[in-house]
Amino acid sequence: MLPFLKIMFRNLMLGPSTDPFPFAPAKTHENFRGCAEFDPEKCILCGICRHVCAAGAIQIRVNEEGTGMQYVLWHNSCVFCGMCAHYCPTGALTMSSNWHLTHLGKDKFSNCISSFIHFGECAQCGAKIQPRPLAIVDKIGTRNPDQFLLCPKCKRESIVKRAAKVHHLPTQENP
Amino acid sequence: MLQFLSRLAPRSPWIYRINAGSCNGCDVEMATAALIPRYDVERLGCKYCGSPRHADVVLISGPLTLRVRDKVLRVFDEIPHPKVTVAVGVCPVSGGCFRDGYSVGADIDHYIPLDVIVPGCPPRPQAIMEGVLKAVEVWRAMIEEGICSPS
Repeated sequence: MLPFLKIMFRNLMLGPSTDPFPFAPAKTHENFRGCAEFDPEKCILCGICRHVCAAGAIQIRVNEEGTGMQYVLWHNSCVFCGMCAHYCPTGALTMSSNWHLTHLGKDKFSNCISSFIHFGECAQCGAKIQPRPLAIVDKIGTRNPDQFLLCPKCKRESIVKRAAKVHHLPTQENP
Repeated sequence: MLQFLSRLAPRSPWIYRINAGSCNGCDVEMATAALIPRYDVERLGCKYCGSPRHADVVLISGPLTLRVRDKVLRVFDEIPHPKVTVAVGVCPVSGGCFRDGYSVGADIDHYIPLDVIVPGCPPRPQAIMEGVLKAVEVWRAMIEEGICSPS
């Protein structure tokens, strides 16, 4: 009898265990993995998110003018595994704790992240290269900051020139 | 009289579940939404029913595998007309991680009109409740427009 009374009083003190969801915000754990969030300012278009996406929810496509890439993440295909956020080198993709994704059937294809990312430009010749936002420059571009902003061709040339200077070899400029 | 009743009906939607080849994750969440006191859709007037002929709101989970496709369509046709379809999980909409499989018929929208979509793999029980509430709104709108009037 007494243990039962103890349980009864404890339950009376604790109140209802029902989550009052439709009438009040639901309890969501801070580590809950909800829909992905995308920061186009940090994206370097490396494509690792598309590569690791198990559900094929991410699509990256060059636009017709060739000035940049259209980045699309379709929430209706995403399975919230979080691999894209795990592998993203710059932290452009993160998993939020937002799970309010319910929508009407006619908005099926508009329930997505869609943003356009411009290509970067080579500091020397102006050719189109992957964008170089601050997030990746701080991470791997500090060792050779002058070479990091070049296109592959200019980078190769600058490396050869520097090697030639070190080894006192004849170059095109001073034969 | 019938109009009055049909206006009252959305206060207690009867829910019917169709498993169209789901992995059972979404089905567990749908059962959880009804059975566990923490979520409890029945306090919103909803009730899971066992017969398609009693249903108002249909919850469909799974990517519509070819093996169950004809059976799902037959059961879906048995549901009387004022019916609102809710796709639970990402599978019915896009196939999720089963997309482009040899036996997967998703997108289910080719066969069955989807009114409400609850994405997630699986969605939370609260998200399913949110979807059911949205389906009730859709149902009310259908009654207002007279789409499901008796004819």
